[in-house]
Amino acid sequence: MAATRADFRAREIFTTLEYGPVPESYACALAWLDTQDRCLGHYVNGKWLKPVHRDSVPCQDPNTGENLATCLQAQTEDVAAAVEAARNSFLSWSKLPGSGRAQHLTRLAKMMQKHQRLLWTLESLATGRAIREVRDGDVALAQQLLQFHAVQAYTQEEALAGWEPVGVVGLILPSRFSFLEMMWRICPALAVGCTVVALVPLASPTPLLLAQLAGELGPFPGILNVISGPASLGPALASCPGVQKVAFCGAIEGGLRLLVQESVWDETMKRLQVRMGRLRSGHGLDGAVDMGLKGPGAHVLAQDYVREAQKQGAQVFQAGDMPSDSPFCPPTLVSGLPPASPCAQAEVPWPLVTASAFRTTKEALAMANGTPRGGSASVWSERLGPALELGYGLHVGTVWINAHGLRDPAVPTGGCKESGHSWHGGLDGLYEYLQPLGTPARARFICENLNYDTFGLAVPPALPAGPEIGPSPAPPYGLFVGGRFQAPGSRSSRPIRDSSGNLLSYVAEGGAKDVRDAVEAAHRAAPGWAGQSPGARAALLCALAAALERREPALASRLERQGVELQAAKAEVELSVRRLRACGAQARAQGHTLQVAGLRGPVLRLREPLGVLAIVCPDERPLLAFVSLLAPALAHGNTVVLVPSGTCPLFALEVCQDMATLFPAGLVNVVTGDRDHLTRCLALHQDIQALWYFGSAQGSQFVEWASAGNLKPVWVNRGCPRAWDQEAEGAGPELGLRAARTKALWLPMGD
Amino acid sequence: MAAHSQGTEFDLSWISKIQVNQPAVLRRAQQIQARRTVKKEWQAAWLLKAVTFIDLTTLSGDDTFSNIQRLCYKAKYPIREDLLKALNMHDKGITTAAVCVYPARVCDAVKALKAVGCNIPVASVATGFPAGQTHLKTRLEEIRLAVEDGASEIDVVINRSLVLTGQWEGSNFIKTSTGKETVNATFPVAIVMLRAIRDFFWKTGNKVGFKPAGGIRSAKDSLAWLSLIKEELGDEWLKPELFRIGASSLLTDIERQIYHHVTGRYAAYHDLPMS
Repeated sequence: MAATRADFRAREIFTTLEYGPVPESYACALAWLDTQDRCLGHYVNGKWLKPVHRDSVPCQDPNTGENLATCLQAQTEDVAAAVEAARNSFLSWSKLPGSGRAQHLTRLAKMMQKHQRLLWTLESLATGRAIREVRDGDVALAQQLLQFHAVQAYTQEEALAGWEPVGVVGLILPSRFSFLEMMWRICPALAVGCTVVALVPLASPTPLLLAQLAGELGPFPGILNVISGPASLGPALASCPGVQKVAFCGAIEGGLRLLVQESVWDETMKRLQVRMGRLRSGHGLDGAVDMGLKGPGAHVLAQDYVREAQKQGAQVFQAGDMPSDSPFCPPTLVSGLPPASPCAQAEVPWPLVTASAFRTTKEALAMANGTPRGGSASVWSERLGPALELGYGLHVGTVWINAHGLRDPAVPTGGCKESGHSWHGGLDGLYEYLQPLGTPARARFICENLNYDTFGLAVPPALPAGPEIGPSPAPPYGLFVGGRFQAPGSRSSRPIRDSSGNLLSYVAEGGAKDVRDAVEAAHRAAPGWAGQSPGARAALLCALAAALERREPALASRLERQGVELQAAKAEVELSVRRLRACGAQARAQGHTLQVAGLRGPVLRLREPLGVLAIVCPDERPLLAFVSLLAPALAHGNTVVLVPSGTCPLFALEVCQDMATLFPAGLVNVVTGDRDHLTRCLALHQDIQALWYFGSAQGSQFVEWASAGNLKPVWVNRGCPRAWDQEAEGAGPELGLRAARTKALWLPMGD
Repeated sequence: MAAHSQGTEFDLSWISKIQVNQPAVLRRAQQIQARRTVKKEWQAAWLLKAVTFIDLTTLSGDDTFSNIQRLCYKAKYPIREDLLKALNMHDKGITTAAVCVYPARVCDAVKALKAVGCNIPVASVATGFPAGQTHLKTRLEEIRLAVEDGASEIDVVINRSLVLTGQWEGSNFIKTSTGKETVNATFPVAIVMLRAIRDFFWKTGNKVGFKPAGGIRSAKDSLAWLSLIKEELGDEWLKPELFRIGASSLLTDIERQIYHHVTGRYAAYHDLPMS
């Protein structure tokens, strides 16, 4: 038999034993683009939408710059058409029983499985990402996500009774994102009955393909609509009438910050560099490549950062050499950055790692937490004690111990601080798209002419208004800050009247400086309170309940003065006492262990305190609402700065007398005064971790706007009164959900 | 196995300090197999290279001179000549790294190799293979006799009862297992062993060799092993002095793959000579 193919290169490779190209065919991706005549529009209501007279941009292979297709740029009316489609399908989709939605999601998962090669080649082709990463990671996980959420939909009626889907969800995705980021958000939304309009950046064909797969399933074509357009369309989508929630995903840089203990610094750097030297960068569609591209332009960001870091005195190690015109940036290790340099503060671009040394665990924790970001972190140590200490202490949403980057649909992924406080996956992910039954729909603008610059800026002066005729003994005068009653910074007071207009008493007029002091006091108390066991916290709440019981006659008669019947007043005090007792017990049952596929060992779903929680109580129900809000906040380990009811703050001050003797100083701080002004001070404070506001529509809008400054989670009532005496609204699961944040702690095991 | 380490002061603390992150090892093992494939000419060249690492092995109770002779012939001519010619590799003198037999068959192997004019070493398993549960005296005697018969390499079974009680022995070539266990050469175990070899090299400058044995049957497996060595230890370990694959049926599959590469067809059973 004669050789039919002769290759003489083998001889050379035999000696060098180098790796060769392993090209993956992307013919199917091109064929799919051909079905669209190489012109991508939008996918709305189960159909391709290709409006005329639209600007277009090319979709290019980031490796070669080859034109793959042109993409039509959406305009506001295209967004409106998509939202309309989503609104229409919401009517039927949300009414479908959970099992029906589950079936649909399962079918989508199967559809995806049938076309997975198309999916991964298209994604890798358009983004330049390594095909291994897409195929073995993203596509597999995307199917798992659909299947997991199908199961959630099945059990929705029982497991999530009392909750309803929020409605149409607008999803805004950044440039340089994986379609997986979209899946993390649309799966829970669709599962609970929401419909989605996703605004994806131009030249991202994969989301369009996904929408097509979902649309071609048949009966519910409009549940997933994809519009591709510039980021400037985001506000158009967010303000489109009918959009009830906006999920926003910021650009993901993907670089890493490494903190290494000094004693193992040299060893770690050496091993890291050796390993980095073995990473292979190249065309994403090569099967033996570790690192492809992350969309066009990523390498420019990386190179700029490297240049800047070098200028600031850092050492840079780059594995392998790349020609300067190459679109690839080699894996890069930057060390010795001075902590105060701009580079050390900036977000690290992919594929860079910056390394700095620390001396003690405590210092490592301070360094790791000293950033506005709070997404995820991994801890590497063979000593379980310090590793867990760090795991619990890190202010992030996900911690992996001795592992990195693991994800599972059952494990909530989210963050805190400026990484945002929304969750994907697990039960927490579902609640993002649910609201308590009967929540009023969100209007486009609550009030269009709210002036953010002047809202609550000035406090109207309060003048003497005659003698006080309130019941005696009156609660002590002053703001309750740091465990004692203090005179307000303004040295002014405001009169409080009863329901018939008689002057009851004067309370202190708090201002910005008082809020500042109160927040500082709360921060001082925070570590101690968070460190207490839930049992100890519950015990203290019970003690407060007992004290409240002793004050029942006084409190009831005060309520009578507010126009409440004696019987009802007594019942209200009793209910307040009960809420305090129950809350402590509920908070104990928080958090649980998850078991996930592909990992031996548990994932702990922890419920951690938010930190300093500011609460602006409603005017109505001055006692019950105050207690109903305070109890879950404390039970979950938060310290509190609280603005009591504006019409009758005396109940809160009355209870403060007991808190002064029972509670550690600074645990609860009560600031009386002008509600709008105090709300302004709280919302604009950067070191408050969450803000609950119950008041006017304007106030709610202001709080949402101002809190965007540090992305703190807010809970506002948008001017709608709440039934505080009802179990669902006064003590329902919503309060507990909002009073703590989740952390997923991955603990792989093995010997 | 020419590269002998100079030896170093035995320090048990090195071993007791070792920590293994098992889930991470499993992930790494999975990754290397998935992300380091080679195709086409690269695959052919890598497979031929793999041939040169094979300790062509027969360890059966019914081994006789005739099948030992056949094995030795195959060791000398592992791939059909015409296939090698097609790849322009016929003048590279490609043979397996060694033949590996029981001590009693060393004589046969030496004789057979001499007959075909092949100077590759004869390796012998010894010391109460595969359990190693015999007296030290007989084990040492076994080695002496095998060497007397002409074996130039001995695969020693260490006394595992000593290991399990923390009394380790030193070595200059380590093997995953005897190949006779229920679980033999697996990637995760290999990664741990290779990291130990690397650490030892960094500490002392001595290069310890590595031999996975048992269960490596397919050409694809052998490629994965080569990339594992390349990734974890580097190219300098990819030579017969430091890396061997203990296998009996692997060679047949490699030859089939080469046949396919050269001809574009899958070989019938009778197209390739048996070993």
